[in-house]
Amino acid sequence: MSPAGCPHVSSFKVDNWKQNLRVIYQCFVWSGSAETRKRKAKSCICHMCGAHLNRLHSCLYCVFFACFAKKHIHEHAKSKRHNLAIDLLYGGIYCFMCQDYIYDKDMEQIAKEEQRKAWKMQGMPHYTALVISPRQHSTGEKYSTWEPTKRELELLRHNPKRRRITSNCTIGLRGLINLGNTCFMNCIVQALTHTPLLRDFFLSDRHKCEMQSNSCLVCEMSQLFQEFYSGHRSPHIPFRLLHLVWTHARHLAGYEQQDAHEFLIAALDVLHRHCKDDNGKKANNPNHCNCIIDQIFTGGLQSDVTCQVCHGVSTTIDPFWDISLDLPGSSTPFWPLSPGGDGSALNGESHATGATTLTDCLRRFTRPEHLGSSAKIKCSGCHSYQESTKQLTMKKLPIVACFHLKRFEHSAKLRRKITTYVSFPLELDMTPFMASSKESRMNGQYQLAVDPFNNDNKYSLFAVVNHQGTLESGHYTTFIRQHKDQWFKCDDAIITKASIKDVLDSEG
Amino acid sequence: MSKESRMKATVNQKLTEMGERERLKELLRAKLTECGWKDQMKAHCKEVIKEKGLEQITVEDLVVEVTPKGRALVPDSVKKELLHRIRTFLSQHGT
Repeated sequence: MSPAGCPHVSSFKVDNWKQNLRVIYQCFVWSGSAETRKRKAKSCICHMCGAHLNRLHSCLYCVFFACFAKKHIHEHAKSKRHNLAIDLLYGGIYCFMCQDYIYDKDMEQIAKEEQRKAWKMQGMPHYTALVISPRQHSTGEKYSTWEPTKRELELLRHNPKRRRITSNCTIGLRGLINLGNTCFMNCIVQALTHTPLLRDFFLSDRHKCEMQSNSCLVCEMSQLFQEFYSGHRSPHIPFRLLHLVWTHARHLAGYEQQDAHEFLIAALDVLHRHCKDDNGKKANNPNHCNCIIDQIFTGGLQSDVTCQVCHGVSTTIDPFWDISLDLPGSSTPFWPLSPGGDGSALNGESHATGATTLTDCLRRFTRPEHLGSSAKIKCSGCHSYQESTKQLTMKKLPIVACFHLKRFEHSAKLRRKITTYVSFPLELDMTPFMASSKESRMNGQYQLAVDPFNNDNKYSLFAVVNHQGTLESGHYTTFIRQHKDQWFKCDDAIITKASIKDVLDSEG
Repeated sequence: MSKESRMKATVNQKLTEMGERERLKELLRAKLTECGWKDQMKAHCKEVIKEKGLEQITVEDLVVEVTPKGRALVPDSVKKELLHRIRTFLSQHGT
C-alpha cells in the first residue's frame, strides 16, 4: 500500500481525470450544497438491487452505483473491466486488480480538498489543532487527524523520548511541599493542575508572555504544569509560585493560615490580569477579555430586583468566578427549605437521610428574597422608594464551576466553622437554576421540559477541596480526578489513591 | 423491494436531502469517541493486523474481522440517543 498508489490507476489518469474525480466527490461522496444533496439522495442506490446501505460504491469509469457488501460492484468491474471504484461513504478508492483500497497521492489530495469544501459549505469549521472554544459551540467543531508539519517531524526526531500513558499511570500527579501553612495554596494548585481545559492550554504552550520582568504568574503556572506532567514523582517545591503570589496579592502574604477560597479568587484574578497581555489588549476592559481564565471560569449571574408595587423588574448581570453558598446553621435566615422541588428531583437526590445537598444550597441561593422595609430600592417605574424582592439566577454558566460552601462564619457575634455535612453529586445539572428556566416557569410552563440528551448545563465533578480542623488551626486537602475516573487525595506532599465513596463522603 | 426497505429508502432520502444525515454522522462519531468505542476498535484493528501481518492485510480483511465486534460494542445509550434524534427529525419534517 505505497503512497504512489497501484499501477492500475494509470489508465484512469488520462484526459480531464482530476476534474471528473472532483465532480464525483462533490456530487456523491461529500455533498455540500442542497442541490448536490438532493441528487445524492435520489440517485445513490444500487443499480442492481436498489439498496442504499450495503457500502455503496461508484464505478470510476462509468455511471454505475452498486453495493460492495453484496459484491454487485465486483460483478460490474469484472464484466466491464472497470477496475476502479470509489466508496461513497468514506471516499476511498478501491482497485479490483489489487483487491484492496489504494492510496494514490494525487487522488488523496483531491479527496481532502473536496471534503474541506463540503464542510465549509455545511458550516462546519475545520480544525486540526486543539482549539479552546466555549462549550456551547463545541458541536460545530470538526475533528480531523493530526498530520505533522516538516518542522514538527524535525522536533520529534530530535527529541526521541516518548512517554506512554497507560490506564494506571500516575501522570500529572505530584505532591507539593508545605512551605509553612501553605496548604491553602497547595490544595488549589492541585485542583487547577487537574482542570482539563486549563491543563490542555498550558501543555500546548499557548501562553505568549509579553511581560518584561520575571514576575508573570501565567508563566509560572506554565512552568508548574510542566513540572506536574514531567513524570517526576518527587514532591515539587512551589517556592517561586508562593513568592509571586505574595508579590501580586499582598493580602495573602505571611505565614499565617489563609483561606483557600480567597487564594483561588486572588490567583484567578492575577492570572487574568497577566493573561490580558496575551491578547494585546492592555486596556482594562473586563467585559471584553478573552483570556483562558475568562473562557473557562467566568460565568454570568443575573440579579432581578422586582418592585412590589409596580412589578417592574430591574436586571443586572455580573460576572463571577465562583458561587458562594450559605449553609444551614449559619446565622443567615431562610433555612430550612421545603424538601423536593425541581432541583433535587433532577439531580437524583432523596431526602430520606435528611442531609443537606448541594442543590438545596443552590435552591436557597436562587430563591426570591424579600428585601424588607429597611432596604427599600428606588424603583424607576414608580419613581420612589419601594419594597422589593431580589432573585439570583444563572445567566451564563462557566465551563468550570467552582462552588464555595461558606463554612467560615465571621459575624459580629462569633467566628466559627460550620461543619454540617453537605452531600454533592458526581453529576450536576444546573438547568433549574438558569435564568431561562425561571422565565419559562414564569410564563406558566411548570413542567420543565427536560431533554435528557442536552448536555449544555451538565457538570461532572473533578475536584473537591476539604478543610479539616477549626478556624484557628486547620488543614486543607484536595481530592482530584485524574485520567479516566481515578480519584486521588492530595495532602501536601502525599498523594494517595481514593475511592469515589471517599470523595462523596467528604465534607466538601 | 419490501415495504420496509422502501420506507428505509425514503427516510434515508429525506435525511440526506436536508443534510441531517451528515449531522447525525458527526454526532455519532463524537459519541463513539467519547465513550471510548473508537479506541477499543483501534486496539482491535491493531491486533488483527498483528495476526495477519502488515503486508498481507487488506481493508476487506479488517472489515470482516472488526464489524461484528464493532456492532456489538456500541453502547445502548448511544443507540437510544441517535434513534431519538431521528424520530424527532422525522416528526418535525413529516414523512
